[in-house]
Amino acid sequence: MTPHLADTPVLETDRLVLRAPGAQDWPGFNAMMASERSRFIRPGDLDEGQIWRSFGHVIGHWVMRGWGLFTITARGDDTALGMAGPWFPAGWPEPEIGWSLWQPDAEGKGYAFEAATATRGFAYDVLEWDSAVSYIAPDNTRSIALAERLGARPDPAAAYPGDTPCVVYRHPAPDSLADGGMEAYA
Amino acid sequence: MTALSIPVLKTRRLVLRGPEPEDYPDFKATFTSYRARFMGGPLNAYESWMLYAAEIGHWAIRGFGMWMIHDRQTDETYGMAGGWKPAKWPEAEIAWVIWPSAAGNGIALEATHAARDHFYRHCGWQTAVSYIDPKNLDSIRLAERLGAKKDHDAPSIDGNDAVYRHPTPAQLSGTQLAHGIEMEIGHYADPLFKPKGWALD
Repeated sequence: MTPHLADTPVLETDRLVLRAPGAQDWPGFNAMMASERSRFIRPGDLDEGQIWRSFGHVIGHWVMRGWGLFTITARGDDTALGMAGPWFPAGWPEPEIGWSLWQPDAEGKGYAFEAATATRGFAYDVLEWDSAVSYIAPDNTRSIALAERLGARPDPAAAYPGDTPCVVYRHPAPDSLADGGMEAYA
Repeated sequence: MTALSIPVLKTRRLVLRGPEPEDYPDFKATFTSYRARFMGGPLNAYESWMLYAAEIGHWAIRGFGMWMIHDRQTDETYGMAGGWKPAKWPEAEIAWVIWPSAAGNGIALEATHAARDHFYRHCGWQTAVSYIDPKNLDSIRLAERLGAKKDHDAPSIDGNDAVYRHPTPAQLSGTQLAHGIEMEIGHYADPLFKPKGWALD
C-alpha cells in the first residue's frame, strides 16, 4: 500500500471540499510555482527540484505539526484549485492562515475567502488557536483585499518571517467572530 | 493524529521507521553542520526543516522514501537510509546519511542493505543508483562495499556527481556478493569479530 496522509480532516463549505494535499496535486502546484502567480509567496525563481521539495514539505508539514494546508477543490471535482489553511514551518514567528489559488479561472468567485474562512474556523475551533496572522507581500493587493475582507488588520508590531519585509495581517480573535467560523463547514 | 503508513524494517541491530517529528532535532544537527557538505548543506534552520518535512512528503508522493535508522534496543537515531527520487533525479536512488557520532560501526551498510533488499523484494525495483559527490570518499567506499560500481554511461543529476549502479536483485540473491555483505555486517554487529582499520560508515 502506498503511504498517504491518514486521519486528516475534510472540511466542506457550500461550494468547496477542503482535503489534505496528496501526490495528485503536484502538477497544479508545480505549474503555479513556476509561473508569475507565485511571485508573492516564493523567495525568487525556483527550479523544479526546489518546487518539488517545497511541495513535499507542504505534505510533510501535516506529519510534523499534525495539521497543515488544505487542498481546495470544488464539490464533485477533486482537481486542486489552490491551497488554504494553517501553516507554521520553521522560521515563522507565529502560526499563519495562508492561501493560494493556482489558476486565473479560479479567481473572482470568492473561493479563497470561503476556504480561508473555513480553515481559520478549523484553526480556532479544532486546533484551539487563540490568534492567527497572515504574512502578505506589500504589493500583493489581491491578498491584502482578501485579508481585509476576512476582518484582518495590519499589526505593525508583529514579527515577520525572514528578511524580506511583509505586512503582518492579524485576524480577528476567535471570540470576536460572531459565528466562530465552525458553522462554515459543520 | 496525522500519519503516513510507512513500513518498518528490522535488522540485527536496527529498526528503520518513517521520519517522525520527535527525530527532527537529530536530523537538524547533522544537516546544519559541515557533515552535510556533500548533501547540499550545510542548511540553515528553515531549509533543514523544509527538507525534513519534504523527506516525509516524499513517501506520500513516491510511495517510498527515506527511513530513520534507530537502535533496536535503545531507539536512539543514527541516521537515515532508503530511496530518494525528487524531481529532476534521473533514476530512483538508494541514499544514506549517518550522524557523525554514530560513524564507524557499519550502521549505514546494515541499514542500506536492508532498504535495498526491501525495494528489490517488495517494490519491484530492478535496479538502483546512488549519486555521490566524487569527494565523498566514505560514501564511495560504502557504495563499493554494497557491490555498486561506477556507471559512466548513466545520467547524473547535474554533472557534479558520480553515478554508482547497484547490483541487480539476481546479483544479490544467494550470491557470494550477498554473503560477503552479510558477513561484513555480522562482523560489525559482533564485537568479537569487528574488523579493524576501515569502518568508515
